[in-house]
Amino acid sequence: MEKGMKATKIKTGILVTILVVFLVVIVGFPLAWMALSSLKPGTELFTIPPKILPQHWSLEWYMQAFSNPNVIRYFLNSLLIASVVMVVDMLIGTLTAYSLTRFCYKGRKLILISVLAAYCVPPIMLMLPLYKIVNAFGMPESHIGVIIAHLTVTLPFSVWLLVSFFKKLPKEINEAAVMDGANEMQVFLKVELPLCVSGVLSTGIMAFIMSWNEFLLSSVLISKESMKTLTVGLANYISSTHIDWGIIMALGTITTIPVIVLFALVQKYFVEGMTAGAVKG
Amino acid sequence: MTSGTLIKPPRLFTSYERRHRLIGLAFAIPVIVFLLAFVLYPVLYNVWLSFTNASLIKKTSSFVGIDNYIKIFSNKLFLKYFWNTIRWTFFSVLGQLVLGLAIALLIARPMKGGTALRSFLLIPYVVPAVTLALVSKWIMNSDYGIVSYWLQQAGLVEARQSLLAMQGPAMWVVVILNVWRSYPFPMLIYWAALKSIDKQIYEAATVDGAGKWKTFLHITLPQLKNTTIVLAVLRIIWTATYYDLIFMVTGGGPSGSTTHLPILIYQASFGSYQIGYAAAIAMILGVLMFACIIFYVVKSGLTED
Repeated sequence: MEKGMKATKIKTGILVTILVVFLVVIVGFPLAWMALSSLKPGTELFTIPPKILPQHWSLEWYMQAFSNPNVIRYFLNSLLIASVVMVVDMLIGTLTAYSLTRFCYKGRKLILISVLAAYCVPPIMLMLPLYKIVNAFGMPESHIGVIIAHLTVTLPFSVWLLVSFFKKLPKEINEAAVMDGANEMQVFLKVELPLCVSGVLSTGIMAFIMSWNEFLLSSVLISKESMKTLTVGLANYISSTHIDWGIIMALGTITTIPVIVLFALVQKYFVEGMTAGAVKG
Repeated sequence: MTSGTLIKPPRLFTSYERRHRLIGLAFAIPVIVFLLAFVLYPVLYNVWLSFTNASLIKKTSSFVGIDNYIKIFSNKLFLKYFWNTIRWTFFSVLGQLVLGLAIALLIARPMKGGTALRSFLLIPYVVPAVTLALVSKWIMNSDYGIVSYWLQQAGLVEARQSLLAMQGPAMWVVVILNVWRSYPFPMLIYWAALKSIDKQIYEAATVDGAGKWKTFLHITLPQLKNTTIVLAVLRIIWTATYYDLIFMVTGGGPSGSTTHLPILIYQASFGSYQIGYAAAIAMILGVLMFACIIFYVVKSGLTED
């Protein structure tokens, strides 16, 4: 009996290990292959059969990528847009989440549902109207249009995540503050906000990542080469007739690394927030 | 959320109460203005556009009634693209839910390095679609792609041929890529749902002598029913309207075999500049998605908040 159970346990253990290794390979392979390809010199990139590891590690593709002044522009544009989106999301999102979780007024539920519905409105539906609006206001010459477009995607998400963080705060804290004569703004700034700083920051970083990754709206709302974002610039490279694979792999790698690093920083809070109230079954 | 978590001022001070409510509303004004101006207005504007012959290359446009809709439904290819949309959506959602649940079951077991594994498996959630697209085009490259090489060696694909250039398999490739990037969300939600199932139910089942498979079928699955419905609706909305991946990997080709409605909307807008017509296609997709959104809002339990 004892022995039989031990044998099944070992069997399950082996099975689980195999599954885990399999998953890690499936998830890691595309990213690892991209990074490895970007480090292979031209002579090794195009060999048949392809070799897994580079024989000679080389940074030539990275040098070539960055010798193009547009690439640096793309980087700065993405950084600027995503940072502004992040800050605006944190500001408006926090105010909204505070309002939705701490006050009782007519229309509160309607706002909550509208935010949720807006979360479901996909970029493809907003593409044409936003394109027309942005052009009507003469905004294609600035990044404001793209920033607004990214907010339509990230703001509802941010509010949703923030509501789940604010809900977790004990109400007694601000009740005590109200009794002490603090007004709503003071309670918000001095009591509630400090308690959810980590939640607010991680929501902001998630918004940054979403904005950094966004493609469709950015590609439609920006026409000037010098104003394009990284994702749009990269997509242009892969759809061009002459594809410079080495440069693309290098650019792909440096586009992805910041995202993974940022996500690693906040994923604990992200998991907490998403699983707290995200999809109530 | 229960009303108990709200600040309830003393009943006597009605003026305070009113002021309190107004302040609560004031905090929400930015989001209200934003949603009205940049989500609701665009959606309504799209409705209006769909009844006009607006074009990107001429200045004026006029009301044409349901002409655009008639044009869509009299286009024989539309049915093909609609069917593509359904296949793309159905298999992507099915794939990510099944994979998400399977992985959730795996990582819900206590194991060494479980948290690290979960974090690692979440990575595809934030990998930019453009990254996935460029890697897949590279590994599927007919001449130098490693996956194409393996398939060619195995005799599954002819020499110097790529799955992405083949009409039948191209759709399957984009579906698999889409499952790769979208399983983490269902995984996370299922993982949380699994943890919230009462352990005592399982203990009772074990005492009754139910096997693992039976326990899963009769206890775990029914407990996950609502989670699954909500997840499926949410993912249907996001998948059916998702443009980036197909556009960057196949561009809708070869020969329209991966063209779905979002690609069609884009082509009508910026390929042939007929934005009235494009808006009408968006409306058809939008009405279907709107039904899903209503269903989701009701099912998510927020209305009873």
